[in-house]
Amino acid sequence: MNKGIKTLPKMLLIGACLLFAGGASAATDAASTGEDTARSKSESTADHSKFEELNKDFESGPEVTEACLECHTEAAEQVQHTKHWTWEYLNPVTQQKLGKKNVVNNFCTSVTSNQTFCSACHVGYGWSDDSFDFTSEKNVDCLACHDTTGKYKKIPGLSGHPNYDTMEWPPHSGNFREPTDLTKIAQNVGKTSRQTCGNCHFYGGGGDAVKHGDLDSSLLEPTRYLDVHMDAEGLDFTCGSCHLSDSHEVSGSRYAPTASDDNGALIRGKKDGRNPTTCVACHGNEPHPGTTVSTAKLNAHTDKVACQTCHIPEYARGPIATKMTWDWSTAGRLDEQGKRIRIKGSEGRDSYDSKKGTFTYERFVIPEYTWFNGNVKFTLFGEKVTEDKVKINEFLGGPDDPDSRIWPTKVFRGKQPYDVGNETLAVFHTAGKDDSAYWNTYDWDKALSWGMEAQGLEYSGEMKFVETEMSWPITHMVAPKEDALTCAQCHRENGRLQNISGVHMPGRDNTPMVDTIGWTLALLTLLGVLFHGALRFIMSKKD
Amino acid sequence: MERIYVFKRFERFWHWSQAALIITLLFTGFEVHGSYTVLGFETAVATHTTAAWTLVGLWVFAVFWHFTTGEWKQYIPTTDKVVAMFRYYLTGIFTNAPHPFKQTTLSKHNPLQRLAYLFVLLIINPLIWITGWFYLFYNSWADWGVSWLNIEYIALFHVIAAFMMLIFLIAHVYLGTAGHTPTAHIKAMVTGWEEVD
Amino acid sequence: MLKVITGFFIAIILVAVVALTSAQALMFNITPSPYGVEETAARIQANIQKPNMKANGWSLSGLRDPGKAVAAAGGNVMPVLLIEACSTKYSGPLLKADDTRIFSILMPCTITVFKNDDGKTYIGTMNAGLMGKLFGVSDIMDKVAADQKVFLSFDPDEAAPPLIKVQPGGGGGGGAAGGGC
Repeated sequence: MNKGIKTLPKMLLIGACLLFAGGASAATDAASTGEDTARSKSESTADHSKFEELNKDFESGPEVTEACLECHTEAAEQVQHTKHWTWEYLNPVTQQKLGKKNVVNNFCTSVTSNQTFCSACHVGYGWSDDSFDFTSEKNVDCLACHDTTGKYKKIPGLSGHPNYDTMEWPPHSGNFREPTDLTKIAQNVGKTSRQTCGNCHFYGGGGDAVKHGDLDSSLLEPTRYLDVHMDAEGLDFTCGSCHLSDSHEVSGSRYAPTASDDNGALIRGKKDGRNPTTCVACHGNEPHPGTTVSTAKLNAHTDKVACQTCHIPEYARGPIATKMTWDWSTAGRLDEQGKRIRIKGSEGRDSYDSKKGTFTYERFVIPEYTWFNGNVKFTLFGEKVTEDKVKINEFLGGPDDPDSRIWPTKVFRGKQPYDVGNETLAVFHTAGKDDSAYWNTYDWDKALSWGMEAQGLEYSGEMKFVETEMSWPITHMVAPKEDALTCAQCHRENGRLQNISGVHMPGRDNTPMVDTIGWTLALLTLLGVLFHGALRFIMSKKD
Repeated sequence: MERIYVFKRFERFWHWSQAALIITLLFTGFEVHGSYTVLGFETAVATHTTAAWTLVGLWVFAVFWHFTTGEWKQYIPTTDKVVAMFRYYLTGIFTNAPHPFKQTTLSKHNPLQRLAYLFVLLIINPLIWITGWFYLFYNSWADWGVSWLNIEYIALFHVIAAFMMLIFLIAHVYLGTAGHTPTAHIKAMVTGWEEVD
Repeated sequence: MLKVITGFFIAIILVAVVALTSAQALMFNITPSPYGVEETAARIQANIQKPNMKANGWSLSGLRDPGKAVAAAGGNVMPVLLIEACSTKYSGPLLKADDTRIFSILMPCTITVFKNDDGKTYIGTMNAGLMGKLFGVSDIMDKVAADQKVFLSFDPDEAAPPLIKVQPGGGGGGGAAGGGC
């Protein structure tokens, strides 16, 4: 295992590079007709390198977008209607205004006041503060999702832009990035890939595998065991194989997940407004084939248990550990020279960083299970909460709700700033070039004053750290069927579902009194007949 | 000693296959219940379900047989000689006293047997079958309009019935050895011929 | 008389059942850990390397994951980490005498860290105290038991230390430097 941890990420990196550098030639070899093999790895009918519009030196990202829009006239407008652009979502059930822009989390806690950094994962250019123009079409970033070269990287701190000049990255690392070759990237655009989606979704929360636990860079080229659908040597699904898109609207969202769907498999082409990114959409409601009593019983479970519960036995099953806890309250400790401290922990990741506090990481994490009907209620900034443990979000649902299923979740636990005067979770300014950013000065008061103001609140001046919990549905890293949970992993005492109430589970649930009385009576009967028999035997000998 | 033909071929087949099925059901049932792990949960459930369906099939034949042959009358209870039977098992059996009941082809169960089997037929079996049936068709409750049923109670009564069946089984097996020789009754159940005084 | 005999046999059966079912509980101690598998293992390793334990002769002699072998054979199991440590101070006397040399079978001292279906991490140790009593080497094994307790006491205020990837097999021939006994 030791070697594996060290070398696997490297191998993945090399693998990813090979995939994207060599992928082009590999794909053309198969369909080779003796043409120039430099590009056209896709089966697209258009070779973008032959487009005059793209045959020029681009100075910036928006210039590329303008070129794209000359042909793809509606693309930017389509993008501007999606969450990838607005970072906003109105939950139709709870009427809460959600989206990255609005929610609080217990990782870096908030986008507000930190846009120059956070917008490295925004499909746009130039979002640095509230003055950003969300209607400007040229601010849409086409390349973030359509790059096929693997060379396009939006750098945190540049407000969603890649670097146009030579730049040291990561900071103080001694590594320098060449200016982004926008022309080459623009001429090689293509479909989205595990790489383009992964650039943001694998690194959410500030690093590989940090946020989700079921999404990390090991999914760039996973083994069958890690993900049976994305298995690089098998089905080889991309993200888009399940997350079907329509007019740039990508299906499947954790703001409004589909916790259950009783309507069977989706027939392709049929539009009935259902989410195509569910297991049911392909596998239907009776997914276990066969007519034995066992498969019938498994299919009978689908009314209570989400597919994910059995088929994702653990998450973070790859070589990369996921972050499980983040304690901001310990941040700010410096060494004797007043310098930032970083301690490498057990999983090869930081266990302490002066800028961020204390972390724990874990691999092969057993999910926590909960009833879930797809509705999530968030605790938002400004909402009054007590100093007790705050549930940043809450999965709604219960055993008597026909839309609810037992779902696996990652529960991320942390300690984060709380404004005592306002009785609310506090926004703070983490990153930036100014002296209010916590990462520059380690001054909570300044960071909080700025952050709360940016959120339209006034910092009361008194803060403390409160415990918080945030839940994430687990739905990726589906294991092959032979690695699904076995019956007895739940149907036993202290099994996977020990904390799930409202459902009767043979093997887990019994009435101890009935068992005691039953076994006692059975034993007494046995002893009674044995005694009776012995007596008969002895008496018969006497005769 | 006189030999009489008490148990007909179907009756014997019914008895022994039912015995095997009930033992299987008890054994797998208590594993599903969580009392021990031998076969593994999945195998235990599958075996339990299969055995239950087999027993249903067997019962259909048995009920039909009992009514067409009139053998159901063998289970009509009687209070006659019940006390004598108890006294026999408590004392007489040890002193080689004569059995108070004389077995015939028309009346092959002693009064205690009649009561005990009737208890099995009227209390244990209905309890175990009805609860088992609802257990098996849990997913159809909504279609049947019985969603108000509580699975916890269904399970509870199924288990209680299982314990009663287990206790019956222990006593029944033992009393099977209480013939004029320990194997006499058992032999009769195999061959059909009982030796009577 | 019959009652006495039956009672006697029943008692024997009961004792046997109790002994069989509790053998595992007697031989091994299983305690839950508040951390994940790797972090627990790393913290145990750090404890073993603390000065007071070093003074007792302890050093790490290996870290294994038996699950890796299963994975290599085509199966999949959750990671299990075996931390191997040895103290020359305790192993020396046992290895010197003919009567106790067989105890080398328990060397190096192994602590296992694993996860159960309840989602919790568990630490398994050999019941050193009982071993000592059973085989008449209480003096040494009681000390091992006491040190094991120290290995398993964690300070939640300390950030997780790195996992130390000791190659197994440090003991025996010439592994003195990294290697325990």
